[in-house]
Amino acid sequence: MATTKYMENTSNPLSPEANDEVLIAQFKAGRTEAFDFLYQRHLPSVYKRVRYVVPENDVEDVTQEIFIAAIKSLSSFRGDSQFSTWLRTLTNHKVAEFYRKRTRKQEPLLAALSEANATMTGNTSKNMEERVYLQRALQDLPENYREVLLLRFAEDLQFNEIAQLTNQNLEATKSLFRRAVAALRAHLDK
Amino acid sequence: MSQHDTNQDNHLADFADQVLQGKINTSASSSDADMVRLEETILRLKTTLPSTNAPDTAKTKQMLVRLKARMKREEETEKIPFWKKLFDFQSNPQVGMLVVIAAVLILAVITVPSLEFGGGNNPTTGTANNNANFLIGGGIVGLLLLVYWIFRRK
Repeated sequence: MATTKYMENTSNPLSPEANDEVLIAQFKAGRTEAFDFLYQRHLPSVYKRVRYVVPENDVEDVTQEIFIAAIKSLSSFRGDSQFSTWLRTLTNHKVAEFYRKRTRKQEPLLAALSEANATMTGNTSKNMEERVYLQRALQDLPENYREVLLLRFAEDLQFNEIAQLTNQNLEATKSLFRRAVAALRAHLDK
Repeated sequence: MSQHDTNQDNHLADFADQVLQGKINTSASSSDADMVRLEETILRLKTTLPSTNAPDTAKTKQMLVRLKARMKREEETEKIPFWKKLFDFQSNPQVGMLVVIAAVLILAVITVPSLEFGGGNNPTTGTANNNANFLIGGGIVGLLLLVYWIFRRK
Protein backbone atom coordinates (compact mmCIF):
# COMPACT_ATOMS: atom_id res chain seq x y z
CA MET A 1 0.00 0.00 0.00
CA ALA A 2 1.26 3.48 -0.88
CA THR A 3 0.93 4.86 2.64
CA THR A 4 2.87 1.95 4.12
CA LYS A 5 5.61 2.44 1.58
CA TYR A 6 5.64 6.14 2.42
CA MET A 7 6.55 5.41 6.04
CA GLU A 8 9.73 3.60 4.98
CA ASN A 9 12.80 5.66 4.26
CA THR A 10 15.71 4.88 2.04
CA SER A 11 19.22 6.08 2.80
CA ASN A 12 20.31 8.35 -0.11
CA PRO A 13 18.95 11.88 0.17
CA LEU A 14 17.05 13.43 -2.75
CA SER A 15 17.50 16.95 -4.05
CA PRO A 16 14.80 19.32 -2.83
CA GLU A 17 15.40 21.39 -5.98
CA ALA A 18 14.26 18.58 -8.26
CA ASN A 19 11.13 19.46 -10.19
CA ASP A 20 7.74 17.87 -9.54
CA GLU A 21 8.04 15.35 -12.38
CA VAL A 22 11.38 14.07 -11.09
CA LEU A 23 10.12 13.83 -7.52
CA ILE A 24 6.98 11.98 -8.63
CA ALA A 25 9.07 9.56 -10.69
CA GLN A 26 11.31 8.99 -7.65
CA PHE A 27 8.26 8.40 -5.47
CA LYS A 28 6.88 5.88 -7.93
CA ALA A 29 10.27 4.15 -7.99
CA GLY A 30 10.04 3.63 -4.25
CA ARG A 31 11.90 6.73 -3.04
CA THR A 32 8.95 7.62 -0.88
CA GLU A 33 10.74 10.46 0.91
CA ALA A 34 10.38 12.39 -2.36
CA PHE A 35 6.88 13.14 -1.16
CA ASP A 36 8.31 15.24 1.71
CA PHE A 37 9.67 17.69 -0.86
CA LEU A 38 6.44 17.72 -2.81
CA TYR A 39 4.62 18.36 0.47
CA GLN A 40 6.88 21.23 1.47
CA ARG A 41 6.62 22.77 -1.99
CA HIS A 42 2.87 22.60 -2.37
CA LEU A 43 1.66 22.99 1.22
CA PRO A 44 1.54 26.82 1.03
CA SER A 45 -0.94 26.98 -1.87
CA VAL A 46 -3.04 24.09 -0.54
CA TYR A 47 -3.09 25.58 2.95
CA LYS A 48 -4.02 29.07 1.76
CA ARG A 49 -6.84 27.72 -0.39
CA VAL A 50 -8.21 25.46 2.37
CA ARG A 51 -8.00 28.21 4.96
CA TYR A 52 -9.95 30.52 2.68
CA VAL A 53 -12.92 28.18 2.34
CA VAL A 54 -12.97 26.01 5.47
CA PRO A 55 -13.62 27.04 9.10
CA GLU A 56 -10.41 27.68 11.04
CA ASN A 57 -10.75 24.64 13.32
CA ASP A 58 -10.86 22.24 10.39
CA VAL A 59 -8.07 23.67 8.22
CA GLU A 60 -5.27 21.31 9.25
CA ASP A 61 -7.52 18.28 9.25
CA VAL A 62 -8.74 18.94 5.70
CA THR A 63 -5.18 19.74 4.57
CA GLN A 64 -3.99 16.40 5.96
CA GLU A 65 -6.77 14.56 4.17
CA ILE A 66 -5.75 16.17 0.89
CA PHE A 67 -2.14 15.02 1.22
CA ILE A 68 -3.13 11.54 2.40
CA ALA A 69 -5.36 11.23 -0.67
CA ALA A 70 -2.47 12.51 -2.80
CA ILE A 71 -0.09 9.87 -1.45
CA LYS A 72 -2.63 7.12 -2.00
CA SER A 73 -3.32 8.07 -5.60
CA LEU A 74 0.06 9.44 -6.66
CA SER A 75 1.09 6.08 -8.11
CA SER A 76 -1.76 6.42 -10.63
CA PHE A 77 -0.85 10.05 -11.52
CA ARG A 78 -0.03 9.95 -15.23
CA GLY A 79 1.23 13.49 -15.65
CA ASP A 80 -1.48 14.54 -18.12
CA SER A 81 -1.69 17.80 -16.18
CA GLN A 82 0.74 19.59 -13.91
CA PHE A 83 0.99 18.19 -10.38
CA SER A 84 -0.14 21.55 -8.96
CA THR A 85 -3.28 21.45 -11.12
CA TRP A 86 -3.95 17.87 -10.09
CA LEU A 87 -3.48 18.79 -6.43
CA ARG A 88 -5.78 21.80 -6.81
CA THR A 89 -8.52 19.52 -8.17
CA LEU A 90 -7.94 17.11 -5.30
CA THR A 91 -8.19 20.02 -2.86
CA ASN A 92 -11.52 21.10 -4.34
CA HIS A 93 -12.86 17.55 -4.05
CA LYS A 94 -11.78 17.24 -0.44
CA VAL A 95 -13.28 20.62 0.48
CA ALA A 96 -16.56 19.61 -1.21
CA GLU A 97 -16.43 16.31 0.69
CA PHE A 98 -15.89 18.22 3.93
CA TYR A 99 -19.06 20.23 3.34
CA ARG A 100 -20.99 17.12 2.25
CA LYS A 101 -20.05 15.31 5.46
CA ARG A 102 -21.04 18.35 7.46
CA THR A 103 -24.38 18.55 5.68
CA ARG A 104 -25.07 14.91 6.54
CA LYS A 105 -24.38 15.54 10.22
CA GLN A 106 -26.31 18.79 10.51
CA GLU A 107 -27.10 21.92 8.55
CA PRO A 108 -23.61 23.24 7.72
CA LEU A 109 -24.13 26.93 8.25
CA LEU A 110 -25.82 26.38 11.61
CA ALA A 111 -23.10 23.96 12.69
CA ALA A 112 -20.31 26.38 11.90
CA LEU A 113 -22.18 29.30 13.41
CA SER A 114 -22.86 27.47 16.65
CA GLU A 115 -19.13 26.63 16.81
CA ALA A 116 -18.35 30.29 16.27
CA ASN A 117 -20.77 31.39 18.97
CA ALA A 118 -19.49 28.81 21.40
CA THR A 119 -15.94 30.08 21.23
CA MET A 120 -16.30 33.78 20.49
CA THR A 121 -18.10 36.78 21.90
CA GLY A 122 -19.22 40.19 20.61
CA ASN A 123 -17.59 41.54 17.48
CA THR A 124 -15.35 38.50 17.09
CA SER A 125 -18.38 36.24 16.97
CA LYS A 126 -19.98 38.50 14.36
CA ASN A 127 -16.81 38.39 12.26
CA MET A 128 -16.77 34.61 12.51
CA GLU A 129 -20.40 34.47 11.42
CA GLU A 130 -19.65 36.69 8.43
CA ARG A 131 -16.64 34.52 7.59
CA VAL A 132 -18.66 31.31 7.72
CA TYR A 133 -21.43 32.93 5.69
CA LEU A 134 -19.03 34.03 2.95
CA GLN A 135 -17.22 30.69 2.90
CA ARG A 136 -20.51 28.90 2.44
CA ALA A 137 -21.55 31.35 -0.30
CA LEU A 138 -18.27 30.71 -2.13
CA GLN A 139 -18.79 26.98 -1.86
CA ASP A 140 -22.24 27.28 -3.40
CA LEU A 141 -20.98 29.13 -6.51
CA PRO A 142 -20.54 27.32 -9.84
CA GLU A 143 -17.07 25.78 -10.02
CA ASN A 144 -15.58 28.12 -12.63
CA TYR A 145 -16.71 31.19 -10.67
CA ARG A 146 -15.41 29.83 -7.38
CA GLU A 147 -12.12 28.85 -9.00
CA VAL A 148 -11.31 32.28 -10.43
CA LEU A 149 -12.11 33.94 -7.09
CA LEU A 150 -9.94 31.48 -5.16
CA LEU A 151 -7.05 31.82 -7.56
CA ARG A 152 -7.12 35.61 -7.21
CA PHE A 153 -8.01 36.02 -3.52
CA ALA A 154 -6.81 32.84 -1.79
CA GLU A 155 -3.73 32.03 -3.87
CA ASP A 156 -3.00 35.65 -4.77
CA LEU A 157 -2.30 34.90 -8.44
CA GLN A 158 -2.29 37.82 -10.88
CA PHE A 159 -4.88 37.88 -13.66
CA ASN A 160 -2.30 37.06 -16.32
CA GLU A 161 -1.17 34.05 -14.26
CA ILE A 162 -4.77 32.90 -13.89
CA ALA A 163 -5.27 33.29 -17.64
CA GLN A 164 -2.21 31.16 -18.32
CA LEU A 165 -3.24 28.52 -15.81
CA THR A 166 -6.77 28.22 -17.16
CA ASN A 167 -5.76 28.44 -20.82
CA GLN A 168 -7.81 31.57 -21.41
CA ASN A 169 -6.89 34.99 -22.67
CA LEU A 170 -6.66 37.88 -20.22
CA GLU A 171 -9.93 39.50 -21.34
CA ALA A 172 -11.89 36.28 -20.85
CA THR A 173 -10.35 35.82 -17.41
CA LYS A 174 -11.29 39.31 -16.29
CA SER A 175 -14.79 38.84 -17.68
CA LEU A 176 -15.14 35.57 -15.79
CA PHE A 177 -13.91 37.33 -12.66
CA ARG A 178 -16.56 40.07 -12.93
CA ARG A 179 -19.32 37.51 -13.50
CA ALA A 180 -18.06 35.52 -10.51
CA VAL A 181 -18.15 38.58 -8.25
CA ALA A 182 -21.67 39.38 -9.53
CA ALA A 183 -22.81 35.81 -8.82
CA LEU A 184 -21.36 35.98 -5.32
CA ARG A 185 -23.10 39.30 -4.72
CA ALA A 186 -26.42 37.88 -5.93
CA HIS A 187 -25.93 34.89 -3.64
CA LEU A 188 -25.21 37.10 -0.66
CA ASP A 189 -28.30 39.25 -1.39
CA LYS A 190 -30.64 36.24 -1.27
CA MET B 1 -18.70 41.38 -25.80
CA SER B 2 -19.35 45.13 -25.85
CA GLN B 3 -16.73 47.77 -25.17
CA HIS B 4 -18.74 48.75 -22.08
CA ASP B 5 -18.48 45.22 -20.69
CA THR B 6 -14.75 45.09 -21.39
CA ASN B 7 -14.27 48.40 -19.62
CA GLN B 8 -16.21 47.13 -16.62
CA ASP B 9 -14.19 43.90 -16.56
CA ASN B 10 -10.94 45.86 -16.62
CA HIS B 11 -12.18 48.33 -14.02
CA LEU B 12 -13.22 45.61 -11.57
CA ALA B 13 -10.00 43.63 -12.11
CA ASP B 14 -7.93 46.79 -11.44
CA PHE B 15 -10.03 47.54 -8.38
CA ALA B 16 -9.44 44.02 -7.03
CA ASP B 17 -5.69 44.38 -7.66
CA GLN B 18 -5.57 47.64 -5.73
CA VAL B 19 -7.65 46.25 -2.86
CA LEU B 20 -5.38 43.22 -2.58
CA GLN B 21 -2.30 45.46 -2.64
CA GLY B 22 -3.80 47.45 0.22
CA LYS B 23 -4.10 50.67 -1.81
CA ILE B 24 -7.89 50.81 -1.40
CA ASN B 25 -9.57 49.54 1.72
CA THR B 26 -12.67 51.48 2.54
CA SER B 27 -14.79 52.93 -0.21
CA ALA B 28 -15.98 52.07 -3.70
CA SER B 29 -14.55 54.21 -6.48
CA SER B 30 -17.12 53.93 -9.27
CA SER B 31 -20.20 56.04 -10.02
CA ASP B 32 -22.02 53.12 -11.62
CA ALA B 33 -24.42 51.66 -9.00
CA ASP B 34 -23.98 48.05 -10.16
CA MET B 35 -20.23 48.44 -10.18
CA VAL B 36 -20.31 49.91 -6.68
CA ARG B 37 -22.11 46.78 -5.45
CA LEU B 38 -19.45 44.57 -7.03
CA GLU B 39 -16.67 46.68 -5.52
CA GLU B 40 -18.33 46.40 -2.12
CA THR B 41 -18.38 42.62 -2.53
CA ILE B 42 -14.65 42.62 -3.22
CA LEU B 43 -14.01 44.79 -0.17
CA ARG B 44 -16.18 42.46 1.90
CA LEU B 45 -14.19 39.46 0.71
CA LYS B 46 -10.90 41.19 1.48
CA THR B 47 -12.05 42.29 4.95
CA THR B 48 -13.73 39.08 6.02
CA LEU B 49 -11.43 36.56 4.39
CA PRO B 50 -8.00 38.22 4.41
CA SER B 51 -5.34 36.38 2.46
CA THR B 52 -3.34 34.02 4.62
CA ASN B 53 0.40 33.75 4.92
CA ALA B 54 1.75 30.35 4.05
CA PRO B 55 2.91 28.30 7.05
CA ASP B 56 6.54 29.03 7.92
CA THR B 57 9.25 26.34 7.79
CA ALA B 58 8.78 25.28 11.41
CA LYS B 59 5.03 24.96 11.08
CA THR B 60 5.40 23.09 7.78
CA LYS B 61 7.67 20.56 9.48
CA GLN B 62 5.29 20.18 12.42
CA MET B 63 2.40 19.62 10.04
CA LEU B 64 4.41 17.01 8.14
CA VAL B 65 5.20 15.17 11.38
CA ARG B 66 1.50 15.19 12.35
CA LEU B 67 0.56 14.01 8.85
CA LYS B 68 2.93 11.05 9.11
CA ALA B 69 1.67 10.20 12.60
CA ARG B 70 -1.90 10.23 11.34
CA MET B 71 -1.04 8.02 8.38
CA LYS B 72 0.69 5.57 10.70
CA ARG B 73 -2.39 5.46 12.94
CA GLU B 74 -4.66 4.91 9.95
CA GLU B 75 -2.36 2.19 8.65
CA GLU B 76 -2.49 0.35 11.97
CA THR B 77 -6.26 0.61 12.10
CA GLU B 78 -6.59 -0.70 8.57
CA LYS B 79 -4.28 -3.65 9.33
CA ILE B 80 -6.49 -5.12 12.10
CA PRO B 81 -8.57 -7.87 10.44
CA PHE B 82 -12.34 -7.86 10.71
CA TRP B 83 -12.59 -10.97 12.88
CA LYS B 84 -10.10 -9.51 15.34
CA LYS B 85 -12.10 -6.28 15.57
CA LEU B 86 -15.27 -8.34 16.04
CA PHE B 87 -13.81 -10.32 18.90
CA ASP B 88 -12.29 -7.30 20.60
CA PHE B 89 -14.46 -7.62 23.67
CA GLN B 90 -13.22 -4.42 25.25
CA SER B 91 -14.54 -2.30 22.40
CA ASN B 92 -17.39 -4.73 21.59
CA PRO B 93 -18.75 -5.89 24.97
CA GLN B 94 -21.97 -6.91 23.22
CA VAL B 95 -20.10 -9.63 21.32
CA GLY B 96 -18.67 -10.91 24.61
CA MET B 97 -22.16 -11.01 26.05
CA LEU B 98 -23.39 -12.90 22.98
CA VAL B 99 -20.67 -15.51 23.40
CA VAL B 100 -21.71 -16.09 27.03
CA ILE B 101 -25.41 -16.29 26.10
CA ALA B 102 -24.60 -18.71 23.26
CA ALA B 103 -22.66 -20.88 25.72
CA VAL B 104 -25.56 -20.99 28.16
CA LEU B 105 -28.06 -21.75 25.38
CA ILE B 106 -25.94 -24.57 23.96
CA LEU B 107 -25.57 -26.07 27.41
CA ALA B 108 -29.32 -25.83 27.96
CA VAL B 109 -30.25 -27.33 24.57
CA ILE B 110 -27.88 -30.25 25.01
CA THR B 111 -28.65 -31.11 28.61
CA VAL B 112 -32.43 -30.54 28.95
CA PRO B 113 -33.58 -33.22 26.42
CA SER B 114 -31.24 -35.74 28.01
CA LEU B 115 -32.85 -35.19 31.38
CA GLU B 116 -36.31 -35.72 29.87
CA PHE B 117 -35.59 -38.91 27.91
CA GLY B 118 -33.08 -40.45 30.19
CA GLY B 119 -35.58 -40.99 33.06
CA GLY B 120 -37.77 -44.17 33.42
CA ASN B 121 -37.57 -46.68 30.53
CA ASN B 122 -33.92 -46.99 29.79
CA PRO B 123 -31.85 -45.67 32.66
CA THR B 124 -28.57 -47.14 31.45
CA THR B 125 -28.73 -45.56 27.95
CA GLY B 126 -30.06 -42.33 29.41
CA THR B 127 -27.19 -42.08 31.82
CA ALA B 128 -24.66 -42.71 29.05
CA ASN B 129 -26.32 -40.12 26.79
CA ASN B 130 -26.51 -37.75 29.66
CA ASN B 131 -22.83 -38.05 30.42
CA ALA B 132 -21.85 -37.75 26.75
CA ASN B 133 -24.05 -34.68 26.27
CA PHE B 134 -22.65 -33.09 29.38
CA LEU B 135 -19.14 -33.68 28.11
CA ILE B 136 -19.93 -32.20 24.66
CA GLY B 137 -21.81 -29.25 26.15
CA GLY B 138 -19.12 -28.63 28.71
CA GLY B 139 -16.47 -28.82 26.01
CA ILE B 140 -18.24 -26.27 23.79
CA VAL B 141 -18.86 -23.94 26.70
CA GLY B 142 -15.26 -24.32 27.78
CA LEU B 143 -14.11 -23.55 24.25
CA LEU B 144 -16.27 -20.43 24.08
CA LEU B 145 -15.03 -19.25 27.45
CA LEU B 146 -11.46 -19.89 26.32
CA VAL B 147 -12.05 -17.77 23.18
CA TYR B 148 -13.56 -15.05 25.36
CA TRP B 149 -10.64 -15.14 27.78
CA ILE B 150 -7.98 -15.07 25.03
CA PHE B 151 -9.47 -12.10 23.20
CA ARG B 152 -10.19 -10.24 26.40
CA ARG B 153 -6.53 -10.35 27.35
CA LYS B 154 -5.39 -8.70 24.08
